[in-house]
Amino acid sequence: MKQFARIFNFEIKHFLKNKIFIGITLAAMLIVALLLFSPRIGALISEEHAETENGEHEELVTEKIGTLLLKSEAQLSEETLQTLFETAFPEYYVVLSDDETAVIKEKIKNEDADCAFVLHTATDFTYYVNDLLMFDMNSSVASEVLQEFVRLDFLVQNGVSPEDAQSALNVTITSTTETLGKSQEEIFFYTYIMIMALYMVIMLYGQMVATNVATEKSSRAMELLITSANPVSLLFGKVLASCLAGLIQLGAIFGTAYVAFNLTRADWENDLMINSIFDMPPALLGYMLLFFLLGFLIYAFLYGAIGSTASKLEDINTSVLPITFLFIAGFMVVMFGIINGDMNNTLMQVCSFIPFTSPMAMFARICMTKVAVHEIIISVGILAATTAAIGVLAAKIYRVGVLLYGNQPSLGAIFKAIRKS
Amino acid sequence: MQLSLSNIEKSFGEKKVLKQISFSAESGEAFGLLGRNGAGKTTSIRILMNVFPADAGEVLVDSKPIDYSKTKIGYLPEERGLYPKKIIFEQLVYLALLKGMGKKDAEKSVEYWLERLDMSEYKNKKLDTLSKGNQQKIQLITALAHDPDIIILDEPFSGLDPVNAMLLKDVVKEQIAKGKIVLFSSHQMNYIEEFCDRIAILNDGQVAVSGRLSDIKRSYPRNRLTVKSQKNSEIAKAFENAVFTDDGALLIRMHDEAEKSDVMKRLVSEWDVDAVEVFEPTLSDIFVQYAGDAPVEG
Repeated sequence: MKQFARIFNFEIKHFLKNKIFIGITLAAMLIVALLLFSPRIGALISEEHAETENGEHEELVTEKIGTLLLKSEAQLSEETLQTLFETAFPEYYVVLSDDETAVIKEKIKNEDADCAFVLHTATDFTYYVNDLLMFDMNSSVASEVLQEFVRLDFLVQNGVSPEDAQSALNVTITSTTETLGKSQEEIFFYTYIMIMALYMVIMLYGQMVATNVATEKSSRAMELLITSANPVSLLFGKVLASCLAGLIQLGAIFGTAYVAFNLTRADWENDLMINSIFDMPPALLGYMLLFFLLGFLIYAFLYGAIGSTASKLEDINTSVLPITFLFIAGFMVVMFGIINGDMNNTLMQVCSFIPFTSPMAMFARICMTKVAVHEIIISVGILAATTAAIGVLAAKIYRVGVLLYGNQPSLGAIFKAIRKS
Repeated sequence: MQLSLSNIEKSFGEKKVLKQISFSAESGEAFGLLGRNGAGKTTSIRILMNVFPADAGEVLVDSKPIDYSKTKIGYLPEERGLYPKKIIFEQLVYLALLKGMGKKDAEKSVEYWLERLDMSEYKNKKLDTLSKGNQQKIQLITALAHDPDIIILDEPFSGLDPVNAMLLKDVVKEQIAKGKIVLFSSHQMNYIEEFCDRIAILNDGQVAVSGRLSDIKRSYPRNRLTVKSQKNSEIAKAFENAVFTDDGALLIRMHDEAEKSDVMKRLVSEWDVDAVEVFEPTLSDIFVQYAGDAPVEG
């Protein structure tokens, strides 16, 4: 136990003194803080900008990004249309045009204008634009504008005053939804973030454990270590230290996010996504910690065992591929489940009991749907038992693997060597 | 203290690597474990260090099974290696801690050995900034810092310049004088011959010969004389079985050991002889004889 504590201590110091580890953690903390402070920083910059330009505070106006040409070939009220288009496209200067279509096209090609709407009738138009971007919504916005225009025109033609017609068309409906189970819309984001964090940390630190072991072996420091300490202590010390390092890193990043959010809570009042993340029930954090620990350990033990069988650092990438594929497959199943919102399909249910996928699958199900307590207990029980068994097996592989040099041994050869030892 | 390996056997898969290996070493003396590559030296050392168990046989200290919590072992492996990117002092203290020392004692001992081996200036440097010879001296500290009862040195002199080799020799002599068991494994026979009272030569997993080096040498027939004289050519003509050795001396083989005194008297009376002595084989001669036909493995 004393030996384990000393190995753990040495390994954790290795992380905490590592400049790359510190740099990445600080950079991630800074990025998270900047993201959460971004509305405040943006507002400050805009205020300064407005002050320098006008010398006084003004209501912020959407910045114009270009010119939109509007041409009507039918007998339509151009002034009304212009007003409606200006309201619907605040980011454009809406300019009425009498040019021929060919001239309008030429202007767009020459970038004298960014886009144009040529209205053949009130219900038929052509949208001209140079490069149609993937998320260009201008055409559908214009359709809505014209629908409103036609409805308004119809009502006015039938004796309704323009004001009445306007208010009839702009009736506001208020509604309330009461969710008795779980609202996936709210929990989607934090589940997504938690699963991503779980995935990233296990991948990064798992590979780090494998590389670490292989480095000790290839630098032959292992010759001394294995004759100075018990291999179980060596592997467990290394794995648990990297687990704690991962937790410290996650804690630092999430902690920064929590503090930054509380300082900027007012700026995020209307942001459902950000609010949902920080309104996460505390019990889920407990589950996150539990599944993180077990999921991390099961994979880190495997990575450590595989690392011990590689003689050269270059071998590591190919050696760990089967484990990485297994992990990615589990991740993909869970991700598709989260995106589809279908957390109770057979695949997800099966995955939430298989120890290699359950840390993500069961956690996602707990987050997004109601899972019976006995299911959680069984899943965690299987996972914990398998993690312990994998830990013991990994230590045995490690004990044999670190002494095998030359070509990477086959799985069969390793198990044979374990039985022999 | 007496350390014994008694009837040790070990197989890896179908291959029997050690077959009934037995030898013993005493406190205050150096023991040479010799053999060609693949003869079973490293496997014997690993069993002795409890890296893996033997299939049969025992490691004994004073005729009782070794208790690793009481008997401390220091090891300088043939394949040198530590953490190249870590601070020398930190890694030396870490390894001493793993061997069971307290933090303060470990630091004090590492300081002492850095000073003793003229390495104090490198204390806070990373290992990979040092030359190969200096890295080896650092590695030697890992074998000595925890004040072990048994010190295993595998090819300790390889890569050392004559000055450092002399320093290491002094350190080894010191340890022997302190009553430690020093177990040498080396192919540099001159060092083994200089330090080791006892040896064991392994050949294909078996002990080909073992015991006191002086006894092994004496076990050879004493029917040869080494003669050093300016008249060696003349002497050679007068004897039937006389050959020149590599260093220019003359080796005279007699039919019977009993002729020794007569031949010596004749040599001294008839020629101007600088030296004449009974020929004893060198350790290299013994090694070639006992390990020569062993299969060579990588």
